[in-house]
This record gives sequence, C-alpha cells and structure tokens, in this order.
Amino acid sequence: MAELLILLTIGLPWLGALFCWAAGDRHPRLQHGLAVAFSLAAGIAALLLIPFGKDQVLITLSVGGAFGNFTFSPDGLGVFLAAVATVIGSLAVIFSVDYMRSEDQLGRYYAFVLFFIGAMVGLVLTTNLLLMFAFWEITALTSYALISFHNDDLKAVAGGIKALIITQFGGLGLLIGALVLFANTGSYDILTIIANPGILPAGALAWMAFGCLAAGAAKSAQFPFQTWLPDAMEAPTPVSALIHAATMVNAGVYLLARFFPAFEGVPGWREAVMAVGMLSALLAAVMAIFATDLKRVLAYSTVSQLGYMVYAVGAGGIFAAQFHLLSHSVFKALLFLGAGAVIHSVGTRDMRQMGGLGKNMPFVRLVFVIGALALAGLPVLNGFWSKELILEAGLAHGNPLWMLFVMLVVSGLTAFYSFRMVWLVFYGQPRAELHAHDAGPAMKVALAPLAIGTLTTWLLAGSFSRLLSESLPAHQIAAHSTGEILLEVLTAPITLIALLVIALGLVCWWQRDRLAGVKRALTGLQITATNSFGFEAVNRAVVLGAQNSAEKLRSTQTGVLGWNVAYLVIALIGVLAILLLGVGLP
Amino acid sequence: MTANTAFLLAVGLPVAASPVIYLIGRIAERKNPKIDLARWLALLILLADGYFLFIAGSEFLTTHHELLVSIGAVSLRLDGIALLLAIAVLALGTLVTMFSGPAIARDSGRETYFALLTAMIGTMIGLGAADDLFNLWVWFECMALCSYVLVAFHRNEAAALEAGVKYLVQSALGTVLVLLAIGLVFTNTGSLDLDEIRVAAQPSGLMLAAGALFIIGFGVKSALVPLHTWLPDAHSQAPSGISAMLSGVVIEAGLVAMLRALGALHLVTVSWGALLLGFAAVNMLVGNLMALRQTQVKRLLAYSSLSHMGYILLGVGAGAVIGSEYSAAGGFFHILTHAMMKGLAFLAAGALLYCLHQANDNHNPLVVDDLNGASRKYPLTAFAFSVAVLGLGGLPPLAGFMSKWQIFVGGFQTGNAWIIALVVFAGLNSVLSLGYYAPLVNRLYRRQPAEIVEQGKPMPVLMTVTMVILSLGVVVLGFWPSLADWLTGPAAQSLLMLFGG
Amino acid sequence: MTISIPTAVLIIVLGLVGIGIYALLTTRHLIKVIVALQLLVKGAMLALVLAGHLTGQDDLGQSLAITVIIADTIVAVIGMALAVQVRRVVGTLDLRSLTSLRR
Repeated sequence: MAELLILLTIGLPWLGALFCWAAGDRHPRLQHGLAVAFSLAAGIAALLLIPFGKDQVLITLSVGGAFGNFTFSPDGLGVFLAAVATVIGSLAVIFSVDYMRSEDQLGRYYAFVLFFIGAMVGLVLTTNLLLMFAFWEITALTSYALISFHNDDLKAVAGGIKALIITQFGGLGLLIGALVLFANTGSYDILTIIANPGILPAGALAWMAFGCLAAGAAKSAQFPFQTWLPDAMEAPTPVSALIHAATMVNAGVYLLARFFPAFEGVPGWREAVMAVGMLSALLAAVMAIFATDLKRVLAYSTVSQLGYMVYAVGAGGIFAAQFHLLSHSVFKALLFLGAGAVIHSVGTRDMRQMGGLGKNMPFVRLVFVIGALALAGLPVLNGFWSKELILEAGLAHGNPLWMLFVMLVVSGLTAFYSFRMVWLVFYGQPRAELHAHDAGPAMKVALAPLAIGTLTTWLLAGSFSRLLSESLPAHQIAAHSTGEILLEVLTAPITLIALLVIALGLVCWWQRDRLAGVKRALTGLQITATNSFGFEAVNRAVVLGAQNSAEKLRSTQTGVLGWNVAYLVIALIGVLAILLLGVGLP
Repeated sequence: MTANTAFLLAVGLPVAASPVIYLIGRIAERKNPKIDLARWLALLILLADGYFLFIAGSEFLTTHHELLVSIGAVSLRLDGIALLLAIAVLALGTLVTMFSGPAIARDSGRETYFALLTAMIGTMIGLGAADDLFNLWVWFECMALCSYVLVAFHRNEAAALEAGVKYLVQSALGTVLVLLAIGLVFTNTGSLDLDEIRVAAQPSGLMLAAGALFIIGFGVKSALVPLHTWLPDAHSQAPSGISAMLSGVVIEAGLVAMLRALGALHLVTVSWGALLLGFAAVNMLVGNLMALRQTQVKRLLAYSSLSHMGYILLGVGAGAVIGSEYSAAGGFFHILTHAMMKGLAFLAAGALLYCLHQANDNHNPLVVDDLNGASRKYPLTAFAFSVAVLGLGGLPPLAGFMSKWQIFVGGFQTGNAWIIALVVFAGLNSVLSLGYYAPLVNRLYRRQPAEIVEQGKPMPVLMTVTMVILSLGVVVLGFWPSLADWLTGPAAQSLLMLFGG
Repeated sequence: MTISIPTAVLIIVLGLVGIGIYALLTTRHLIKVIVALQLLVKGAMLALVLAGHLTGQDDLGQSLAITVIIADTIVAVIGMALAVQVRRVVGTLDLRSLTSLRR
C-alpha cells in the first residue's frame, strides 16, 4: 500500500505534466482541469501516506554499478514534506486557474509546475543520495524554467539563469558529499550514514558536512548565496508561492535536518550552520525593511525565516526547525498568493503606488493580515508557536547567547516590516489611481484553506512530534503532546522577551513619524541594504570577469592557418618537454 | 554465418558499398533526380550493417572472447572499445543519413555525400577494430579523407572552403606526425602488431617521443586544446548532418585511435593517462569560455564539444592512470551520451537552419537571434534542442547528468587528490556551461517569434522523426543509466587491459 | 668523414619535415601549403622505408611507403580540388583572404 502511494505521489504529477503538455495550448480549459485533477490526486496520495511514516526502505529499484540502488522510504521528514509539497502545490495550481487565465503557453507552465511537485516529493522520499541530488537538480531546472516563464522579459530570463547558476554552484557541495559517501562506503544509502556516521573517516565526513551546508545554503537562499531569491520574483506569483516560499527553498533546511545526526559531531559544523542562519535572518530582515517591491519584501522575509530554520537546525532543534517549516510554508504561501491576488488586480508590484486597497479587496485583506500576523509571530497564530520553539532551542545545548540575541532582534525587525507591508498595501490613502477588485473564485478557494491553516496548524504539534520521533530514531526527537508543547512555550521566559521585542517592533512602526531622526541616521544602512550589502556587486564582478576572460580568449582563435599550425608545433614541443624533462621515465 | 564473417562484413560492407552507392546514385540522379536513390541505398546498407554488427557483437558479449579476423594485411579485433565505437557510429550514422535526405535535398552532389558518409561510417568501425599500428593509420587516414570532402560539401561557399582547407592542412599534418611515430616504434620494436609492440616497447627517449607524436597527431582529430583550432570552423561550416557526425563520433574515433596507440606503449611510461588528464582540464575550461560569447549556434555547439572532450578525457585518463573502472566506463558512457546529445543538438540546429535559411535560399549561418520564439512554429524541434543542450549542461533527468556522474564517481573513487580536484573543477565547468546553454533554451520559448521564424518553411517529417528518436534516447538513459552498462562495461575493461594488463 | 646511408636518409627525413613545417608556418599561398604537406609526407614515408631497412624488413617498409603514397595522393588531389574552388569562389589563393572564420 505504502509502496503504491509513494509511486503515486511522485508519478501522478509527472504524468499530469505529460498530459498538460500533450493537451496543447489550444485547449486551456482542459489544461487547467488536468493540472488541478492531477495535483489534487497527488495531494491526497501524500496525505494518505502520512500514517505509514517509518524509517524503512520500501521501494528498491536495483540500478547497480556507479548509480547504486534507487531507494525510497516514507519516514516522518519525508512524508511531511511530501504532503506540504503536494497540498500547497495543488492550492497553487488551483490559484493559477484564475491567475494564469489569459496567459499563453499554459502547457509549459503546468508541465513544469507538476514536474516540480513530483521532483520535490522524490527529493524528500528517496534515501539514495545520488537520486536525491538528481531530484535536487530537477527542482533547480524547473525553478529556472518557471522563473523565466516570461522569456520575452529580459529580467525574467536573467533571474532564472541567476537562480540556476547559483543553486547549481552550491549544489556542487551536495555532489561532493554524495561522491565522498560512495567512494568511502560503496553505496549512496542515507539511512546507513545517519545511523552510523563512524563508517566515514573524520576528514571525509567533514567534507560531506560542509558540502551539504553549502548546497543547503544555496538552495534555501542563505548567506552567502541569498541573492538569487529576490530576483526569482519575476516568476508568476503562484510559482513564487509554491517553489520560492513553501517548498523548494525548504529543501536546504530539509537536507541539513536530515543529516543532522551524522554531522553534529563534526567540529565547527553546528556553529557554522547557526552562523549562516543568523546572518541570513538578519541581513534579509534589514533588506525587507527598506524594500518597496511587494514580492521582494516577501522574498527577503522568506530568506529571513529560512534563516530561523537553519539556525534552529544548527542549534539542535530539529523539531522546532521542521515545525517552523510547516508554519512558514502555510503562512508564506498564503502571503504570496494574497500578494498575487493584489498584483493580478492592480497590475503593479510597487508598494509605493498601492495603499488603501483593503476597501476594494476585503477578502484578500483579511487573509493577508492573518498571514502577516503569523509572520510577525503574534499569538496564537502558527508562526508564533514555532518561532518561540526555535528561540527556545537557541538556549539549549550551550549555544552561544549572542546569536540568540541577534535572532531576538530579528523577530522585532520582522514585526516591523510585516506591519509596514500590510499598511502600505491595504491601509492609508491610495497613492495612485489603481482599479482594484477582489480575488476571483479559484483564488479564494486556494486562499481560504491556507488562512485556516495559518490559524490552526499549531494544533498539530503533538502528532507532528510523535511522527518525527517514531520514524527518525537517529534524530532522537522526544515525543510530546500538543498540550505539553504549548505549555512549555507559554511558560518559557524567552517567550515573554520575544513578545516584548515584537511589540517594540510594532510600536516603532506606529510611532514612525516620531522616529524620523532615527530614520535619517539610518540612511547609510538603507543605501547599503538596497544594494544588497554588496553581494550583487560580487555577483556582477564574477559574471563580468567570466565574460571578459571569454572575450579575451576568443582572440586566440585567429583564423590564420599559420597560427593554427604554430599552436600544433608548440603543443608538440610542450608535450615532448613534459615527457622528457618532467614526468619522464618511470 | 559465423560471428567472424559477420564482423568482417560489418566493417567491409559500408566501405565496399560506397562506390556502388555513388554509381547507382549518379545514374539515378540523371534519370530521375526526385527519387534520391543514393540515400535509400545508403540507409539499406547501414541497416544491413547493423544486422551484421548485431551478430558479431552478441557473440563477443556472450562469450567474452575478442573476435580476431584478418585477411591479407588487414587484421581486426572486436573488443569492448571497438564494439562501443561501432555501435555509436552506426546508430548516429543511420540517423544522420535519414536526416540528411531532406537537409541536402536542394544541393547537387547528393550521391557523393551519401557515398562518402557511408564510407566514413565503415572506416570508423574499422578504425575502432584495427589490430595493427599501420592499419590503424590507414583507417584513420581514410576516415579523414572522407571527412575533408564532406566538410567542404557546400563547395560554392567561401566559408565552407576556408574551413575545409584549414581542416585538411591541420589534419594532414597530424597524420604525418602519426606516421613519424609509427616509424619510430617500428624501428624500435621491429613490429607493427599492437600486441607485439605492447611487449616489445620499453622505456626510452625515442619511445617517449613516439608517444608525444601520437598524442599530437591523433590529438588534432580529437580536438585537444590547443590543437582544436580547425574544429569550430569545420563543425560550423559542414552540412549539419556532418557536423553531428564530426562532433558526435569522429573526434571520439580520433581519441580511440590515440588510446590504441598509447596503450601499445603502456610500458614506456605511466604518464600517458596523466597527460590526458592535463588536456582534460584545459579542454573543459577553454571550450566553455570560448562558447560563452558565441553568437552562431553551430559554432557555439562546436566549442562546447571541446569541453565535452574534456569530460571524456577525464574519465578515460583516470581509467588509464589509476585503472579506475568506473572512470573508464563513465568516459565511454559519456562518448555514447555525447554522441546522442551533441548529435541531436546539431541536427536540431541544422533543422532550424534548413527551415529558416536554406529552404529560403539564403546561406547565412544560424545565429542565436534566429532561435527567438522558434517553439511557436517548431515545437518538437525546440523541445529536442532544449533536451539536447540541457542534457549537455548535465541536468537531470537527461543522459548527460548520468554519464558525468559516472565519471565523477570514478574520479572520487581513485582517492587521488589531483583527480578529485579535477572532478570538482569539472563540476564547476558544468555550472559555467549552463551560462551559455540556458539562454538558448530561453530564446526558443519566447512568445514573440523572430521575423525569420515566421517566414520559416515547414519542418520535413524525416527530420522530426530523427530528432524524436534521439530525444527519447537522451531521456531514457537519463532515467535508467544502467541500460548502457552492457556496452560501457566491456569497453572499460578493454581500456584497463590496454593500459594495465 | 663518411656518412652511412641510414644516417644520410635520416638527415633527409629531418630536413624534409623541417622544411615542410617551416613552409606551413610561413607561406601565404595555398598551393605552396599543399606542396609543403607533400614534403612532410615524403619525409615520413622515407622514415618508414628507413625503419623497414633498419629492422631488416625492407619489403614491409616499402609496402608501407606505397600505401602512404596512395593515401597521400588522394590528400593532394582533394587539396588541389579545394584550391581550385577557392580560386573560383574567393578569387585568390592568398591565405590572407581565408581568415573570415575567427573568434
């Protein structure tokens, strides 16, 4: 049964991708219908899979040789993320029915969205590191294809290629990890290495650990690879919600959490993970404060929230990280889709032109505010509970307190930019003549469950902890009931402190006119932040460097026959010299 | 029919049939140019050849005994490498013959084209199986002769002639160097038989010089940097089917010839493989950087062949140096997948070149701007081209990902720090290569087609069929890479025997 | 001082190859390029004959040489054919006008 469900969850979206593509762009209604049907079916299959969560390999496809065996196992981490991917995936597809109504080339759009959903499920359910890397790359491929879906727009193309190249560059870390594992153990099996990291020599394990950190950071848009995510906002908004907020960017966190038992003993690894998370959370939050593009604010906040999760993994709070991942997937998908409804309605992403939209879009305002409050970490929304758990994890294990302090500050910043965003879009006086209308029916169908989820998913804490604890023995996650977890959060002193900081953030926005002096003092910071703290300059330098050296190298192709012959003679002399002088006779 | 006879026929049939194709084609051309008899005859010959190869190959694979055949001075040996090369050449050659029917339908001299293409296929199968140093040279030279004419097939275009001249001069210089090396080896060992040389060739300065001459001489054909300068010209100016053959199998055939010759000198020094690894690094980097800023599609693809030769050298070189079986198998797997992917890329580019330019009677090259929005009119071609270049960039679930992976695994398994560093460097190069592959795909899927696309002629059915077949191959091998193990495994073992046994 | 025949042949071989490569590097005339290739191949061919002689297999060396002559003649024919076409299409045999394929 579970075997069949695994195959269905991966296979159905892929089959759907094929059908949507084959249906042809002359039948948009059929394409919408097929996409919704297949993604919903996959979602149901994934939900049915949850009760089967355990750490056993259920499917083994024997490929052999350098490729190992393709294995799949539905453990807690896997089924939970598979469910998130397919459920939010189907909501994004439903949302697209309205959002993409008048678009061309729907076949390509749905094919890649569905291809992505299947690949994401495969990525979290497989226990073969080669296969994981392959799925990892497929998600990168689909992400690239969807970011530059509007190929005529040069910005979209550039954003897509940037995302592809940066995640691939980081992905080399995972490649190295997988190769190290195979070279030392002759297999790609993840469960073995997690259960018994000692089978790798310490040096090899360190290479693997830091390689995975690089890969995870690139995928989850963490420091120092964070720059691709804001540019990825050129994608159609449902794609941003699905891939760049709720699912693919979580793959990095998933990778680190998955391998935590194997890598926690590597000297410096946990500290490095915490530092990456903390820096990402801080830098992105500051950038979110100054950004004016609605989707970019959301993108920065995604980087920042992912930073929380990465920090939590480093701090040893696997449960906290995964629980926040769940909350974040729901409320951030909600925020993105809500933003999509706004953008679809008014035709701009610039918040400076919005304002007062709430009057005409009451439904969207309602759900967006719910999402924003969860992002800010206000009780009793899901974001509150999971964020508090992360901060608590920061206290444990003798983790450095100054990092925890930074994370607390970031939660204040988060509250600040959340309120700013809501205010600029929905409240105040309209700043431009925009004709807003409320969300369409399919959009509402997608938004409502997410809003309800934002209000309620924290109630799942108990069963979620039981699922992880039972199916991930190596992670040593303790099972608690929901009541216990909630009580623990409510009685922890750090919760109070965090709430005070969040309130402070709120007050700062409220009293922003009185803080004009502070704002002036921060002009320098604003300029640095809008210039992405110099990371974009580094990116540009790398690209320019490659292009310039390529252009210079091209002059070696002279087109003159005499030179071509000369190269040949020089090469002959060179090889002779190397052989006779250098490596020579044995 | 015994396996040996079948093998002899597999090598001899295309070569022997080539003049017949020419003559009959020539006569048919006079009588009724519409039938294009030469093409169908060539196709028939190649299919028959496939049958013979199947008999010989299955005998070899089931008994694990190399087939040895000789008539007169010609001696042939069917081992893993020979079989792999033969299958790659014959499969791609057959598809190219199918494709070329419509592609050169408007040119004169079609019978020459198909006769020479068939002969070239035969000579490459022979080259892979040559068991004697001088035989090796003769096959190599014959292959080169066929390709000179084919590269300059558009004989009224200055650029094609220029490419042909450069290719001929550099390649001929290469064959002279090989002859000199043969002279040295012959003087030193008194034999031309590869097996006898293996035993007789001992370390000495002259033998090192012979090896260097082999590397450079055969290296011209297999496009080692900096001997590659003919390649971008020839590959971009040749008819597209020939570009596919040159890039997909001819440069690899040059490498096989080099491996055979160096393998015979394996006692002279252990550094042959290390040298190949050095060329691997240079090829990958230079190929990618040169391709990065190209504006002509076929020239871009030609430069990317340099970098892919680098990956192949990485696999084969690590196999030769350390005896890593996964590396060697990965290198040969990459020869196969590269033949499919680059063949597909050139054929798709050629199909667009035909529909957008040649069918409208202009001789301009296909530039990247012409690709804009091509998917609107040619959806299957655009898809095939995307599959090809993304596969070349090493993205799953396409064949290129798996073959690169196998090379990388082998490299890491050697445990040698240099080779591991080279693998990481190769990975970086794959990322770099996406910098020119990905924009091509973006262009294809633009909404607004280029003007030239809107005026394009319809795509001939046979071209579409060949592209679909190759695309399917690239995808299937990407999902299930071990489907090629039966072919790459024996080839890897043959290579290890060449350099170690 | 007397020079043995093999040494003399060796010197001729090296001379032919040297002149050939030098000519390839410097000449600007397509026909001269083909002539240079001919010199090179003749040198290599002589080397094979010498090798046959030195190893006591004169007949083998000579049969190799004959094979090389055949192959080499075809190369020359193709080269000349290309030259004819170049003259026709481009209008000159000067290599400086054959530099359009660059970068």
